Amino acid sequence: MNRTRQVAAIAGVAAVATVLAACGSKNSAPSGSNTAGNYILGTTDSSVTSIDPAGAYDLPSWTLQYNIYQQLVTYQPGSTKPTPYAAKSCAYSDPKTVKCVLNSGQEFSNGDPVTAQDITYSFKRSIVINDPNGAWSLLSDLSNGSTKHPDLADGAIETPNDTTVVFHLNAPDLTFIQALTTPAASIIDPKVYPSDKLLTDGKDIGSGPYQLSQYSPGEQAVLTANPHYSGPNTPKAAQVTVQYFNSDTALSTAIGNGQVDVAWRTFSPQEIKTLQGNSKVNVYPGKGSEFRYWVFHTQKGPGANPAVRQAVAQLIDRDAIASRAYDGTVNPAYSTVPPGFQGANQAFQTAYGSPSVAKAKAILSQAGVTTPVAIKLGYTPSHYGPNSVDEADELASELNKSKLFKATVDDAEWNQYQDLEKQGVYDLYQLGWFPDYLDPDDYLSPFLRDGGFFVNGYTSKKMDNLLTKERGQTDATQRGATIGKIEALTAKDVPMIPSWFGQNTGIANKDMTGVEPTLDQAYIFRMWLPSKSG
Amino acid sequence: MSSSAGSGSLARYILIRVILVIPMMLVLLTVVFILLRVAPGDPVTAAVGGHLPPAIIAQKRHDLGLDQPLYKQYLEYLGHAARFDFGTTITDNQPVLNVVRDKGGATLTLTAGAFLVALLIGLPLGRLAGRFRDSGLDAVIRVFGIVTYAAPIFWVGVLLVAFVATHFPSWPTYGIASAQTTYVVPSHTHILIVDAIYANYWTGVFDILQHCVLPCVTLGLLITGVIIRLVRVNVIQALKGDYVEAARARGIPEGRVVRKHAFRNALVPVITVIGLQVALTLSGAVLTETTFNWPGVGSALVNYLNERDYPAVQGLVTFFAIVVVIVSLLVDILNALVDPRVRY
Amino acid sequence: MASVMSRAGSGIRSFFATIWNTKGLARYMFWAGLVITLVFVVCALFAPWVAPYGFDQTAAHGVDFPKLGPYDSTHLLGTNDQFFDIESRMIWGARTAIEVVLLSVILAGLVGVPLGLLSGFVGGWVDRILVFLMDAMYAFPSLLLAIVFSFLLKGKIGSGILAAALSLTAIYIPQYFRVVRNTTVSAREATYVEAARAIGAPPLTIMRKYLFSNVVQSVPVLATLNAADALGTLAALGFLGLGIQPTQASEWGYDLSRAIDDAQGGNWLPAFWPGLMIVLLITALTLVGEGLNETINPALRRRRLKPVMFGPRVPADVVGTGPSGGTGGTFDNAAADMEGGRP
Repeated sequence: MNRTRQVAAIAGVAAVATVLAACGSKNSAPSGSNTAGNYILGTTDSSVTSIDPAGAYDLPSWTLQYNIYQQLVTYQPGSTKPTPYAAKSCAYSDPKTVKCVLNSGQEFSNGDPVTAQDITYSFKRSIVINDPNGAWSLLSDLSNGSTKHPDLADGAIETPNDTTVVFHLNAPDLTFIQALTTPAASIIDPKVYPSDKLLTDGKDIGSGPYQLSQYSPGEQAVLTANPHYSGPNTPKAAQVTVQYFNSDTALSTAIGNGQVDVAWRTFSPQEIKTLQGNSKVNVYPGKGSEFRYWVFHTQKGPGANPAVRQAVAQLIDRDAIASRAYDGTVNPAYSTVPPGFQGANQAFQTAYGSPSVAKAKAILSQAGVTTPVAIKLGYTPSHYGPNSVDEADELASELNKSKLFKATVDDAEWNQYQDLEKQGVYDLYQLGWFPDYLDPDDYLSPFLRDGGFFVNGYTSKKMDNLLTKERGQTDATQRGATIGKIEALTAKDVPMIPSWFGQNTGIANKDMTGVEPTLDQAYIFRMWLPSKSG
Repeated sequence: MSSSAGSGSLARYILIRVILVIPMMLVLLTVVFILLRVAPGDPVTAAVGGHLPPAIIAQKRHDLGLDQPLYKQYLEYLGHAARFDFGTTITDNQPVLNVVRDKGGATLTLTAGAFLVALLIGLPLGRLAGRFRDSGLDAVIRVFGIVTYAAPIFWVGVLLVAFVATHFPSWPTYGIASAQTTYVVPSHTHILIVDAIYANYWTGVFDILQHCVLPCVTLGLLITGVIIRLVRVNVIQALKGDYVEAARARGIPEGRVVRKHAFRNALVPVITVIGLQVALTLSGAVLTETTFNWPGVGSALVNYLNERDYPAVQGLVTFFAIVVVIVSLLVDILNALVDPRVRY
Repeated sequence: MASVMSRAGSGIRSFFATIWNTKGLARYMFWAGLVITLVFVVCALFAPWVAPYGFDQTAAHGVDFPKLGPYDSTHLLGTNDQFFDIESRMIWGARTAIEVVLLSVILAGLVGVPLGLLSGFVGGWVDRILVFLMDAMYAFPSLLLAIVFSFLLKGKIGSGILAAALSLTAIYIPQYFRVVRNTTVSAREATYVEAARAIGAPPLTIMRKYLFSNVVQSVPVLATLNAADALGTLAALGFLGLGIQPTQASEWGYDLSRAIDDAQGGNWLPAFWPGLMIVLLITALTLVGEGLNETINPALRRRRLKPVMFGPRVPADVVGTGPSGGTGGTFDNAAADMEGGRP
């Protein structure tokens, strides 16, 4: 090799580098305009599928969308009732028709006005694009139902003038207004978004309190206040930086020593416990809507006998599960419907009282079941966090301690688990649930009608009738009563056993304000509320 | 890579070696494809969490081409790969090539830094151990090398982070740069530190270097063990060489013999073998990036694997394969340049 | 010639004789490694008697174990986050580690050795294709391969010891293949094999009687170094949550991953112990492997006595001019390695 040439080449490269460095000196110092209140939000919800509302049906994407776009209605902090947002009013004229009137003078972050026609465009686009990851199914009340050429149904959306929009639903549906709160119903600027395909992430324009000013997928998103936003949710912080983490360990270190200001989703119970002892941060155990439960296979194995199911319901110690497996970071669930929802009660508490071996023994011997009953519990290590195995172990040991059961524990990868569970490989298996919208029906029909989405073989005419009745009832008190009956019937038939409701935990530095109110069951992180002092 | 010996020119050797890259890539691509398609489950069931009606799941599968026969998917995959088109990730809608581009820079920074650390520690220690073979010093250095290799990266990483977080709370423990640096530095080369230098933003450069320390040391320690062993053995062997004996015979002091003669000659095999540690380094990078939330290809790969994002995993693993193949090509050529016996 | 023939017959005995005759530090490091390894093996074999509790036991004599309990007379190393007795987890973990590693190394050897023997002996295009395939597999970052395999196997055979062992097996087959093949290629041309061929020995006999005993000498080194490497990979899988579940067996990598959250909260011990176990066993195995390597590699060996004799000669570059123990990089010296026994 020619050494002289080598040296010359290196020298050349170095010279070029120096010149380049000299040329690039134009933008040196960062602009430090108004930094008061600005904060960094750290989260492990890093898989942002799409910032375009037509392309996402997941919380990480929705978190950005809630802040960049407006919806017609939204949930106020702490409430489960939709209230007007981009709309001045939104209400059912009849169970098949919803009429909304827009606030006047609203603008997108590029200055374009927000009109009723934009809503038609946004909804139609989402249905037409029919993206595999999209949430168009939430708008199915408006679609023509075609899988080949999905589109708005004829006359589904009417816009008599620039500020009025009328939705004509395919069928009576009292949950449609709930669907309008989701980012699937975000309003976008027709001049920016192509009608037949998704917009490349990073160029998004909405009418929400914030606009996206920088986006590096999986790393960080920088949101700055939208200068054209005129609504009530004026941002307290002019700039919010969202940093994405791939592990909760790194995130908990970062919040623990002040490298991020707010940390939201998700932590292990141990980390929460550790951070509770950290004097630099506040841990807010917000109310959550995440739900964890155990399902019986009611056709095969011991679960085919209702007495066995009732005996397990009699033995399960939810307090022990919450404290031993989750360090008290979850709330025991005694019904499938979370507290605070219409008709929510404590059906399992009412039916069984506190855990009792004697009562369980009585149930089994009355039904002539020979003990101990062999029962196989199932869980998946790859979908519900590292502590699901601890819950399974805890429940198994509670059952074994009673000497009425001989419980074993088995597991499978999430993908495999969903199939095995349906095949009846497990007698009693653990599953979780995040609601699509905050309506009690979303905690009932998916589980209890025709074996539920998990296909556990449970069917009951009486249950089906009650579910149909509840869905059509507009009167709150009447509907609440029906829901109460459904919960009581669930506790009696025990196709599933509620285990716990999650908390919407947020952790913030002591110099942050306004974090706590946004930690509610809607899982909307309202970035405009918090700000950093000092 | 056949074993048939023959007399060939350097040019011919290099040509054959380059041509061999193609079937090698083909084998790797096939392995990647088979492994991912045989594995149970698919991105649709993984993504929707099982509460969509079967009709919609079937529709989604169809949209992604997952209902096609395997051989069709395979041919399609090869065709795309030949055009360097790895498709778009399912979970976050990014062209896979963009992911490689955006994250590749961080992985490059990490591995380069780690090698730097490893060489700084490994070369002198290995030389010492080789020179004072069988002494107590040799034993200590060797055990050090073995232990640094044996200690799991994630363990070392987490202990380091916990230590630093307790004693130097203001030292960054995750990521490649602070939010401000990432925000301010405009992207040209997609290698953040180069961009920061290019932008003449020296606060940012310093910030990035600060972030580099912990991960580079962690990954560097893993490679250090390998380098110590390599250098040591090669120094021992070089010290037995005729020219070293000749140098000794001329009365040159032992220290100088080691420094000037043995060590230099020991470096040649070391350089080639270091090149081949790329596979090890990439394995290590996966764990390091996961531990330090480093925005590189390795941590991205683990995320996509967990979400069963076929196109993403295929694309990234193919990227890893390409890197390994290219580096081994370069090493072989370098080897042939240095050592004429290697050519065939 | 005579000594060479006898070596072919009694490879194992002369192998141990070689170890015994080596002098210097290599020997002590080898013995140190062997002793530590044996301690782990004893723990593994007698885990049910050595360990005070079962690996998934959370209560004894009707008393629940405390969570993250400190060390005391009932729990020598305390209890961890999952109410398990750490001491028992560590001892049972040795059993898991040794089971998995042994199984994977044996399986890889069972596939890799005959394949390498065949490839090296038959030569021609079979050899070329096999070498090519194995090189491609080998070029793959091993952890990625293990991750993908464990995904693949978990669906089929669950998340137990067998699945973990099998997903590691795949990584190490190419290494056995390469080493055995190269030794075979060089031995094939040796005079005693030529002689055997000349007197009309059938190929199978040549392979079994002459080549195998020659080749098998390089396997223990490789096996110990691979065992060390496999252990690291097993722990990494456990750490990433892709390994053995706590209800199936006790695995150090998993325990470590669960304890990391506690370490951040200032409770170091639950994370310290499994980490220490991993480091100790890998180090011990590597010491044994390197000791063996130095012993049987003439380029590195120093003899205790130096009689003038022609000792067993294993081609130097086979057992590592790239003497990086347990790295998977051991046999990385492709240029030399591929040449198969060039003097």
